Amino acid sequence: MSEVEIDARDLMPPEPMLKVKAALATLNRGARVRLLLYREPFPLYEVLRREGFAWTTTLEPDGTYVITMRHA
Amino acid sequence: MSALSFEQAPPISAPLRFFLTAPWFGVAAGLALAWRWEAVTASRWTPEAVGVVHLMTAGFLLQVMVGALLQVMPVAVGANVAKPLWLAAVVHPCLTLGGALLSAGFLGVGPWAMQAAAVLLGVGVLGFVVVTGLALLRSAAIGPTLLVLRLAVGGLLVAAALGVALTSIFGFGAALPLVELLDLHVAWASLGWALLLVMGVGYLVVPMFQLTPAYPVRVARALPALVTAALAAWTVGTVWSVDAARWLGVGLGVAGVAGFAVTTLRLQSLRRRKVTDSTLLAWRVSMGCLLAAAVAQGALRWLPEGGAARSRLETFTGLALFAGAFPAAINGMLPRIVGFIGWLHLQRVTLTPPTMQQLMPEARGKWQLRTFLAALALLAATPLWAPIVVPGGLLFALSCALLGWHVSLGARAYARHRREATSAPLTPTDVPH
Repeated sequence: MSEVEIDARDLMPPEPMLKVKAALATLNRGARVRLLLYREPFPLYEVLRREGFAWTTTLEPDGTYVITMRHA
Repeated sequence: MSALSFEQAPPISAPLRFFLTAPWFGVAAGLALAWRWEAVTASRWTPEAVGVVHLMTAGFLLQVMVGALLQVMPVAVGANVAKPLWLAAVVHPCLTLGGALLSAGFLGVGPWAMQAAAVLLGVGVLGFVVVTGLALLRSAAIGPTLLVLRLAVGGLLVAAALGVALTSIFGFGAALPLVELLDLHVAWASLGWALLLVMGVGYLVVPMFQLTPAYPVRVARALPALVTAALAAWTVGTVWSVDAARWLGVGLGVAGVAGFAVTTLRLQSLRRRKVTDSTLLAWRVSMGCLLAAAVAQGALRWLPEGGAARSRLETFTGLALFAGAFPAAINGMLPRIVGFIGWLHLQRVTLTPPTMQQLMPEARGKWQLRTFLAALALLAATPLWAPIVVPGGLLFALSCALLGWHVSLGARAYARHRREATSAPLTPTDVPH
């Protein structure tokens, strides 16, 4: 299964969202996008819900949120 | 895909009305400080001192913090407030009128002003706490910010209830224990509400806007736990006159405050964006003031009651928190928040929205911050030479006026871009007040 990783921890808003949107726009079925961010991206969840993507979120001890997205 | 994260944001006028009126309470506080300086600096118990403190706290700080919480909750923890415009339409006039009347009552207008203030502030805060509390309870966020924000809103409720009880002593002549209620009110308002809110907002905005590493999860959970334990111990010690519990409360509180300040300063030293802008500088000053207040509060417990040294240190602690730490954090964040929400709403109506910088230029913020820092330097010397509070107060008033002007120009720029981007006329909810 292919996976695209976006480390957006160094980026100011709105860059993380724009990068994820671009990655999702070309995401094949079965592939995943893995986003690393220092906050839980609730605005992104709205987009994912509306566009038919599924996701899981975990929190690492250093405060990194890992959001893994795929087609529902 | 549709516009970026707009669904999560409350209508812009909901938070913006608080941001537009709040700085003018700071102006009033600075002017009152200069006007009644002898009475204000004589003791923290004079009506004039209490009046000035509440222009800052119940006026300036409370309004900005309520507006910021409305704006931050959806983004930080996915908590959407039901009917934000209705909430703002009720809470904003209650806080504005209530804050003005409370201070006017202390500054000599009469007991009727305090009676009205108790009702207005009670209704405003209760309405805000119920609606935001419900939204926070429904949130499914997994990070530490949710706990901090829930605790802060609970802290606001306790602080406001204690404040209404205190006002009933002055306004209605109620027979309640003044000193104990006052000690509890100050602790819950400064630590239980203001500090926890700055902490919760800091967990989101420090890494996001200053590009620092995140607050480590264990630290981010331990800090609010320390502060809450401090408040519990302080409350038990005050209500049941247990001195050991009050000592424990001070110790835990100092650890919580200093821990947050040191952690934030350390994260800022590790930031990847090496530019020192006014946001970063203001947060550093805020954290420095928190550290100074923590050290002073710790030292206070070792000084004898009624001594001149203790009185000076009490004044310094109050200034470090209410003229330093909290206003500095606001000076750092308010221009950012206004720029961000302006951009957020404009990118819904135009493909080429102005940048946050264009809405709230850094140059304007720099001058405003310099004025604030000069005022703070003068005010910090007040415990040593009281008359310096006059230029300090006037400069503080000027810095708040510049902040109000900065926010107001940002709101006008938003309205202008909004008008240019849409052929349709603005609705009343789009026009900043």
